[in-house]
Amino acid sequence: MSRRLWLGLAALGVAGIAVLALPAQSASAHPLGNFSVNQALALDLYPNRVDVAAVVDLAELPTLQERAAVSAEGAAGYNAGVCVALAHDVTLQVNGRRVAWTVRPTGFQYRPGSAGLHTTRLTCALRADADLSAASTVDVTNGYRADRIGWRELTARGHGVHPVDPPIPARSITDGLRSYPTDLLGSPLDQRSARLRVQPGDGPAALGPKTHLNRGDPVSRWIASADRSLEGLVGDRLTPLIGMLAVVLALALGAGHAALPGHGKTVMAAYLAGKHGRPRDALVVGATVTLTHTGGVLVLGLMLTTAAGLAGEVVLSWLGLASGVLVAAVGTAMLTAALRRRRASGHHQGHEHHHHHHDDHEHHDHDHDHHHPHHAGRGRRLGLIGMGVAGGLVPSPSALVVLLGAIGLGHTWFGVLLVAAYGVGMAGTLTLAGLLLIRLRNRFSARSGRALARLTRLVPAGSAVLVLCVGLGLAGRAALALG
Amino acid sequence: MVRRRIVIVGLGALLLTGAGSVVGLRHGSDHVAAAPAAATPVDRAADSIARAQQRLRDVPGDYDSWAALGGAYLERARVTADPTYYPKAEGALRRSLIIHRDGNATALIGLGALANARHDFATARDLARSALRIDSYSADAYGVLADAQTQLGNAAAATPAVQHMLDLRPGLAAYARASYDLELHGRLTDAESLMRRALDAAVDPADIAFCRYQLGELDWQTGRLEAASAEYAAGRAADPSYLPLLEGQAKVAAALGRTGEALAGYADLTARYPAPMYLLEYADLLRAAGQPARADDQLALADAALRLFAANGGTDDLGTAQLALAQNRPADAVRAARHEWSRRHFVDVADVLGWALHEAGSDAQALPDARRASALGARNAGYLFHLGMIELSLGKKADARRDLSAALALNPHFSPRYAPVAQAALDRLGAP
Repeated sequence: MSRRLWLGLAALGVAGIAVLALPAQSASAHPLGNFSVNQALALDLYPNRVDVAAVVDLAELPTLQERAAVSAEGAAGYNAGVCVALAHDVTLQVNGRRVAWTVRPTGFQYRPGSAGLHTTRLTCALRADADLSAASTVDVTNGYRADRIGWRELTARGHGVHPVDPPIPARSITDGLRSYPTDLLGSPLDQRSARLRVQPGDGPAALGPKTHLNRGDPVSRWIASADRSLEGLVGDRLTPLIGMLAVVLALALGAGHAALPGHGKTVMAAYLAGKHGRPRDALVVGATVTLTHTGGVLVLGLMLTTAAGLAGEVVLSWLGLASGVLVAAVGTAMLTAALRRRRASGHHQGHEHHHHHHDDHEHHDHDHDHHHPHHAGRGRRLGLIGMGVAGGLVPSPSALVVLLGAIGLGHTWFGVLLVAAYGVGMAGTLTLAGLLLIRLRNRFSARSGRALARLTRLVPAGSAVLVLCVGLGLAGRAALALG
Repeated sequence: MVRRRIVIVGLGALLLTGAGSVVGLRHGSDHVAAAPAAATPVDRAADSIARAQQRLRDVPGDYDSWAALGGAYLERARVTADPTYYPKAEGALRRSLIIHRDGNATALIGLGALANARHDFATARDLARSALRIDSYSADAYGVLADAQTQLGNAAAATPAVQHMLDLRPGLAAYARASYDLELHGRLTDAESLMRRALDAAVDPADIAFCRYQLGELDWQTGRLEAASAEYAAGRAADPSYLPLLEGQAKVAAALGRTGEALAGYADLTARYPAPMYLLEYADLLRAAGQPARADDQLALADAALRLFAANGGTDDLGTAQLALAQNRPADAVRAARHEWSRRHFVDVADVLGWALHEAGSDAQALPDARRASALGARNAGYLFHLGMIELSLGKKADARRDLSAALALNPHFSPRYAPVAQAALDRLGAP
């Protein structure tokens, strides 16, 4: 059983990565609005000069607005004009003295955008002679189209010189305005100026802050706060150790989550008690919960990342309703079966009596199967799977948040892994709870005398009613939330 | 009409500042007790965003902070006119609801304000009602409800919602809404005095600029150009980056005959913020100034902007109808305006539908719609002009003379393109 479970999970994980990775990339196409003018300046510092690779990314409407200028001046002429204007508005001061740029337009390109329109990608190369062979200060300010909305980034790298504690990163987090981050916790970058202290020599491999969107030391953040949980881990820089810890934490969280009230344990307990469950039944329920939950979280996560207008809470309510109805259906089936058996048991008093002297439940089961050779076996499995699906159908919000967070940060595969681990943890708790229940029941029935025997005969009907009530309650609550 | 939209976006976001600051206060007390109190108002918004972001990096399950962050993003979208923040706001608000589904009124209110900003007024109304079921004393929920009902054309439901808001929390957001409600009922003097109270309550530069713009618009509507100009200038002094003020100033410049200045103003405004409503006004002015080719360029841009709005999941059939009218496609305008009317019975929609029918030659059908635009008592020169022209086409000369004179008496400069048309029609009608 458990081997098949793991194979199923692995397959699910791979499928999940394939579909989830796509929307995460295409969603970053227009994060800054259709009328933004976005700019990136990448500084390369040398002992004798400063080079700047500038990228200007015009969204759809500015592209359209400038179309007349492009057709009047030609692409090359327009590119040159923009580069001259940019060089005029980008100031570089070395030790307080402004340096002059040499400008070279390097590229102009229309690229497909939204609604059949185009965007523009335009590049320039700027070069200034500067003496950085001794310790010096470099101030850079970007005032180009200062009144336009847009992403503005500055990066700086040293070659033979190095910036000390640079306030700006060495590498572009947008890959030169090719892909913008969609992190909900990041504001658009608006880095218009920076002061760099430059020392000769290549210096230590310190590359400056990696990104501005994700500040903070991962380790101290780890320990800092008590209520900081797994959700934060996906946002950290991934090292093997952190990855392992996160998976362990996900397992534990899943297990803990399943231990909280309201995860179908009451129902499962009632079901196993009412149906004279075996250890294998507990495993089936646990495995079904894991598969359903992992699949559900992945599908919902996919839907939430691709369909912008989708209301997650409404989907959750519908799933809650479905889960409740499913439980109620299983309860009804149990009730009818129990009633039928009770009527039938009148004719089989001898058998019933015979049972109670045998505490070996395998044998006991065998007897039951004997009574209803086909029907009971299939009905039991369906009922168990129904229970498991009902238990795993409503994705746990924290698993969903982990997944969405991971997608937002570009760690989709890691999120999928964590969600799977989360499901395994849940299954572990549920299976364990089921096994404990069975053990407990067996012990009771071993010690029980005739009084309890009579009570046990009432259990199937009672537990069926309980399952039915819980199902109706779950469905009702979900329906209220929807109404 | 431009104003209606600015009001709606402005009011929606104003409200969220309130909601956000309440949540922020609650969190501020335990989390950032040592924060310096001397921060300038401008930095406050950016600061609250940064604080909520940091808090959520530490405690990703804090649904209150997610809702507050969503509200702060919406506020940012209002102040900077940067729509980037709408999807971010939506993401944060939805995350809040996913973490805490039941009883999360703050997130519902935020989503409602967002729906209003995106012109999805029916959804906004439903969200506000859901929030009120959770918290029946939420002034902010009443604010979202009032905005939605106003835009849906349910004036009878909007006014009580505004009153509830005024009772629960009399302040900038409530005064501004009450002022707008009065204005829609034609009580312009009362509307102005309430907007002055809103201005007195405003602290942030962006809020002051918002109130000054609204006061300027009230002056503009009644043709008081100097007063309007003074309000716009005061607004720019408070917050030079508040873009609607540029529209106000360009409009006044055009009315005063300073066409070059007006054109430069619109060029600057539409370069920074190419919204269809501004582009249509710019095109009208260009056409009036004898530059039809450049006017067509602006309309092509407006068309692209509307297509992008639709590609991003929005529906703005009112804008589509106005563009179709400007491009002389009356049949398309009628179709789009009817679509919008099937969704909401707001006075602007009635006005555009009536005018579209007139342009399509169906004046008999147009008359009831044009009358509906003024049925609440709204005093709007544009509505009156449309009504008068329709009456003229139907041969109702006395009515046409009355309504066209009323339009020009209210605001002789209501449109660079159509004010001369109204005057010429009146001249042709002659004395009664």
